[in-house]
Amino acid sequence: MPADADPSLPGPLTDATVRKVASLARLAIADDHVALYQHQLSDVLKYIERLRTLDLEGVEPLTHAGDTLNRMRDDEVGPMLTNADAIALAPESTGPFIKVPKVIGDGGGA
Amino acid sequence: MPSPRYTPADIERVTLVLGMEIHVELATRTKVFSRAANPANSRAGHGEASPPNTLIDPVVLALPGSLPILNREAVEMSMMVGIALGCTIAERTKWDRKSYFYPDLPKAYQISQYDMPLCFDGAIDIPNCDDRGEPDPMLGFARIGIIRAHLEEDAGKLLHELPASDARGSTRIDHSIVDLNRAGAPLLEIVTQPDFTSADQAVAFARLLRMICRFLGITEGIMQKGHMRFEPNINCIISLKNGRTATTPITEVKNLNSFRSLKGAIEHELREQPRRWLEDSIEFGPGTKTTRGWNDARNETFLQRSKEDAHDYRYFPDPDLPVLEIDDAWRESARASIPELPISRLWRLRKSHGLDAREAIALVEERPVAEFFDQAVSRASDAGVPGDRAGRLVANILLQNGAKRVNERTTEQPTDPSEREEPDDESSTLTVADLGITPAAVGTLAALREKGSISAQSLDILFGLLCDPAHAGADPETLARERNLIIVRDDAAMERWCAQVLADNAPIVDQIKGGKLQAIGRLVGNVMKLSGGTADAAQVRTKLLDMIGVKE
Repeated sequence: MPADADPSLPGPLTDATVRKVASLARLAIADDHVALYQHQLSDVLKYIERLRTLDLEGVEPLTHAGDTLNRMRDDEVGPMLTNADAIALAPESTGPFIKVPKVIGDGGGA
Repeated sequence: MPSPRYTPADIERVTLVLGMEIHVELATRTKVFSRAANPANSRAGHGEASPPNTLIDPVVLALPGSLPILNREAVEMSMMVGIALGCTIAERTKWDRKSYFYPDLPKAYQISQYDMPLCFDGAIDIPNCDDRGEPDPMLGFARIGIIRAHLEEDAGKLLHELPASDARGSTRIDHSIVDLNRAGAPLLEIVTQPDFTSADQAVAFARLLRMICRFLGITEGIMQKGHMRFEPNINCIISLKNGRTATTPITEVKNLNSFRSLKGAIEHELREQPRRWLEDSIEFGPGTKTTRGWNDARNETFLQRSKEDAHDYRYFPDPDLPVLEIDDAWRESARASIPELPISRLWRLRKSHGLDAREAIALVEERPVAEFFDQAVSRASDAGVPGDRAGRLVANILLQNGAKRVNERTTEQPTDPSEREEPDDESSTLTVADLGITPAAVGTLAALREKGSISAQSLDILFGLLCDPAHAGADPETLARERNLIIVRDDAAMERWCAQVLADNAPIVDQIKGGKLQAIGRLVGNVMKLSGGTADAAQVRTKLLDMIGVKE
């Protein structure tokens, strides 16, 4: 059964979704490219949707593609970079700090 | 449909609904996914005082080709907290990328745990507080559910003004600056159920959690350094006199790093939310949650962002980090490394030793003191002090003779006043366990006192001597003999000294007979002098009154 015939599957990506994904990825996309990405990204999703045609009854969800387990290290300090290394890599710096445009508000992190 | 407008007079009662997220910086030597030093561990020779952007390596800076490798110690520390909070430890857990752009996050994603946290489904019973705010197990317990505790990496620090040490003159800058020393430090995020019923209870929980984490040795727990950050999620149920109820939208207050601000933020929201609701009629529902910050100077919260600009983090499993499986043996070894924890100790000190809540807290707050106490009590018991007396005697010695010397030494070395805002936040505080006297010596002093062999004054002198390195390891009883501090139980000598003093001071004896009882002090002093300090003042007093024939 072709995937696009399944009514439970989402339709093609909307214009708004493409713009939102681009903005989340900090990508500027030209208006006339939106339709192109809409088409290409929909094709990618449609390809992945083919998995839905498989019978997955009783199959454990895969949490990781690799089959390595428990790769860990001891809590010992290793070699570090210097402040000069960090500053040399930064687009801009001031004293020992990396300089960035003024940021207001919180990052929503941690 | 907008609800009709109400006034404060329509409100029957307001019930707080409160849960918390707590971030704890683990005191591993290195970061969670790389071997750069962790600033939250001051013993590793680096610590917060390290110059900016020096605790870094290719993983921290997200240089191309660098790969994260998990720090085993960070997992073990997290498991210990999870077990202490009654959580189930996952048999299988994984790492997820939480994506967002921010200058303090070099990879543009944070490695965290999304749907398979390391620890989950726990609960902890915390003692109810007495009217002085001290948790007291004798007053019963309240159960706080723990939804999850997961391990993640911290972000760097984004600063909007120059630190005073780097500023030549003004600290004002027209840009922001980044220090990545903290980036990648291990962070344990604990999420509770909304089980708190008051701001005081939330603060008691926060204090106990800090005590537990410090007891486990998994964090230095210095509040001013942000080692523990509290984020209350607050809303309330407003019961109206007409029988209707309204639930206010949830407010999350970010990054509170003092108990005072935690209490202030909760109390402020509990006051403000009903007022906001009366104004805007907005009730709890999708898209109504807001994030607020805390203004310490104004003692109030302020709006940071509403949920409309909420981040879309696009979590997905980190392909660079394999799944982690925890077997029974590993979990049991973590469990076995957990000492008796503060709440259980509080219960024991209150119940078996008859100490009051404040004394019990003072003796269990710091692990070295709690263990010192137990060892001293055990020595006192071995030396023949009855079980129900040993705890009391040792507590008195530690909280009086010990505390006196801790205070003397602390005032000798004044610390930076900015570090001392909240006294219980000082992690490097000197304790009685640092004075030099051993638990065994304290236990022996308790036994000598119990037998009546030394006076209270002699005990204090001996305590001081035993703190002196010159007497380290000395036997207290031998030392007491050398210094003639053993009370003479020679009744004949006591009789002789008292008779002599009474004969020499006939006018004072007459005053006492005439009812001026306080004059006895001088006679007691004279007898003590004759005894060379070996008599017990209380016994002398009784003997003198007896010989004069006066009753108290």
